[in-house]
Amino acid sequence: MAETQAQTIATILQTLAGIYLSGGLMFAIAFVTRGVGTVDAAARGASWGFRLLILPGVAALWPVMLTRWGRAKPGAAGERQS
Amino acid sequence: MSAIYRAVQWNRHKRVYDGLLALGVVGFIAAFFVVSKLTWTGDHAIADEVLILRGVGVAALVLLHIILCIGPLARLDPRFAPLLYNRRHLGVTMFLLALVHGLLSIGYYHGFGVVSPIQSLLTANTRFGSLHAFPFELLGLAALAILFLMAATSHDFWLANLGPRAWKSLHMLVYPAYGLLVMHVALGAMQSERSVLYPLLLGAGVVIVSTLHLVAGSRSHAPRHEVHRPGGDWIDLGDLSDLPDGRARRVTLRGAERIAVFRHGDRVSALSDLCAHQHGPLSEGRIIDGCVTCPWHGYQYVPRNGQSPPPFTQRIATYRVRVDAGRVWVHPNALPPGADVEPAVMPGSDAPAPPR
Repeated sequence: MAETQAQTIATILQTLAGIYLSGGLMFAIAFVTRGVGTVDAAARGASWGFRLLILPGVAALWPVMLTRWGRAKPGAAGERQS
Repeated sequence: MSAIYRAVQWNRHKRVYDGLLALGVVGFIAAFFVVSKLTWTGDHAIADEVLILRGVGVAALVLLHIILCIGPLARLDPRFAPLLYNRRHLGVTMFLLALVHGLLSIGYYHGFGVVSPIQSLLTANTRFGSLHAFPFELLGLAALAILFLMAATSHDFWLANLGPRAWKSLHMLVYPAYGLLVMHVALGAMQSERSVLYPLLLGAGVVIVSTLHLVAGSRSHAPRHEVHRPGGDWIDLGDLSDLPDGRARRVTLRGAERIAVFRHGDRVSALSDLCAHQHGPLSEGRIIDGCVTCPWHGYQYVPRNGQSPPPFTQRIATYRVRVDAGRVWVHPNALPPGADVEPAVMPGSDAPAPPR
């Protein structure tokens, strides 16, 4: 009984994590390709090495970066927090 | 500190640092493997795959101890400061080692069953009430998740876009991760090893890390110059001759606000003691190329206005300062970040004295 419960919990956790990270990866690809320069002016013209480097973090923290991208105005310099 | 982000701002110092790091990691794992092969022989021999995954795991844990010690060591002795500059490279390397250890372990111990390795990892052992048979792998998995988040955000892009407070809070999770890893080892590998060497080594690591933090913490809270003055009065820092050229004295006000008073040539300027980057103690830095230089990561500020030299845009608060009868005085009211303040001029200088 306990084992079945553990398996059910594990399956749910795996599924939720899979959905979160899959969505995060898709968002991250779009973000590093198009959105990063809108959010942060210092990322405009940045190399693909930099974009690939931040991709895992964007995939993991995609709700935060999605919010920042949504608030950033296209073409305007992204406001740097100090 | 580049105007456009780069993946890594390579310089000679970083290449040497990373080269030594790579040699150290490879050398450690190789030595662990060789010593283990020589120690455990015959009936006690351990499979090569297990030795490799253990070696990688131990290397990650040792590296984590080193990383945790660098911060307090740099506070206690400035000679350790160069280790602090590239600590993020150590952190990312440590995460990669932990990841390899995790993947090898999951593959070796959970990879040949009827369920998926992750499913097996999460469900094979649910004896949370047992100390001897505790599912220690889950502790390692939780620590790995934290280390991943830290490694993935180890770039100035994240510092700028999460904000210093959120970024610092995220990276302070290294301490819970450390606790999880200590328990991962204590409830895991140490349960099957009889030798007293393992608990001794692990215990020594915990004691060293804890002691260094306590000592560094007690010293950093002891201000160099504590002042008890009502708001608005000029603060007497003491004799000008006590202020070395290119260095600072720190003033700590009531409420813990800190001011760094720097002497640069025949001028004296005062600015916030907190670096805009990660709040490093500027008063522990020095003047390099005419700029106050943070001892932690090299961020710089022009002394008279607290602004980073172009094209960088960091700004910190400045304070009014004067030299009177050979003594240095600073006003405790902070001016806006980047505000220009005429430096105080030392007596005998050819430059005109600033107005009061």
